[in-house]
Amino acid sequence: MTRETEQFIRQLAENVRPVRALAQPYVRATVWLGLSVCYLAVVLLLTPRHDLSPKLSEPLFIIEQLAALVTGVAAAVAAFATVIPGHDRRWVMLPLLPLAAWWASLGPSCIQELNHFGLRALPIKHDLRCFPFIVLLGAIPAVAMAVMLRRGAPLTPHLTAALGGLAAAGLGNVGVRLIHPEDVTVMLLVWHVAGVIALSALAGRAGHYFFNWRSLQRWPGSISHASENSAR
Amino acid sequence: MTESTTAHFAELMCAAQAGDADAYIQLLNEITPRIRQIVRRQRRFLGADDIEDLVQDILLSVHAVRATYDPQRPFMPWLLAITRNRLADSARRYARGAAREVHVENFAVTFADDRANTDIDTYGDSQALRQAIEALPPMQRGAIEMLKLGEMSLKEAAHACNTTVGALKVATHRAMTALRKMVAKER
Repeated sequence: MTRETEQFIRQLAENVRPVRALAQPYVRATVWLGLSVCYLAVVLLLTPRHDLSPKLSEPLFIIEQLAALVTGVAAAVAAFATVIPGHDRRWVMLPLLPLAAWWASLGPSCIQELNHFGLRALPIKHDLRCFPFIVLLGAIPAVAMAVMLRRGAPLTPHLTAALGGLAAAGLGNVGVRLIHPEDVTVMLLVWHVAGVIALSALAGRAGHYFFNWRSLQRWPGSISHASENSAR
Repeated sequence: MTESTTAHFAELMCAAQAGDADAYIQLLNEITPRIRQIVRRQRRFLGADDIEDLVQDILLSVHAVRATYDPQRPFMPWLLAITRNRLADSARRYARGAAREVHVENFAVTFADDRANTDIDTYGDSQALRQAIEALPPMQRGAIEMLKLGEMSLKEAAHACNTTVGALKVATHRAMTALRKMVAKER
């Protein structure tokens, strides 16, 4: 072993502080869900949609919200798994099934609308009010997710951020459906589901700004490479 | 790699997570040759210094994310995942650096024209210049001495001679014009 590396190891050991091992991804996802649901509950209590009670008795509405919620939770578990070195990479596929179920839950109503209006007259025009709502309702869950993910290892920054974005936007979408009385299904498919995917893709694109080794390796009295030290 | 070695590493890592510096040094000392071996095998074209830099980078990453090690899981897959990731990162950095580098021939320092290749200033009579400065009016002389010879800032010089920055600028300009004329007359 070279002298520089020996000296470097000594420096690392001098800076070693007790750390608590990160909990399992599903435990961390539960904690995140708890925080996010509290926030959504407050918003829901302040501005619930006027027809919420009758909507909660519609099986398709319940299935759609459950699928969106499970998509968010599954994406959160997958995101937390990606920041654990050596964790099984197949976990990233976890949100695919609930995501498919979510889309499928909108299918029957879409076909119904298609038969009723025809392809040309489909009501997909939208005032875009839903999108800022999804962003607003997903913002706190997204911040909580980012803070929790930054405690892990930035092995796959883009994928981690995309999954984190999907989790937050999925949950935000559930919140929007509970406060915003819009039920045109094709419009939901286009603006809500596509909106969630777009937010997830955007988060993924910017992933390396939030999760990178450089920011992790910086701490008070930071240690630099021994070779850099000797060069100074 | 025997199971007992993996268990030994896991034990040391648990102690390190609890803040045991001795166990941490022992762990890092024992994993470093293994990391170096992997780096050497994967980056045969690198020199010894570059390999050591990479090894230290991996050790620093291990240190930064030591909280992500779950004591109930095997240690080596955790370490190898970090090592592979940092190696891939370094390869990407290398590729990016190589793509941005432009190799150019060594250009001549100046242009080929003779006038651009003078080594020294043609005017070299410092005695005459000193006399010219002494012949300046007191305000202009002070401005030259403080700003050009003393390398003071305008603010400092203005404060030192109890005047304004504007007045000092005017004095300097007049002094330089006068000096140019005096020096040209002597040539």
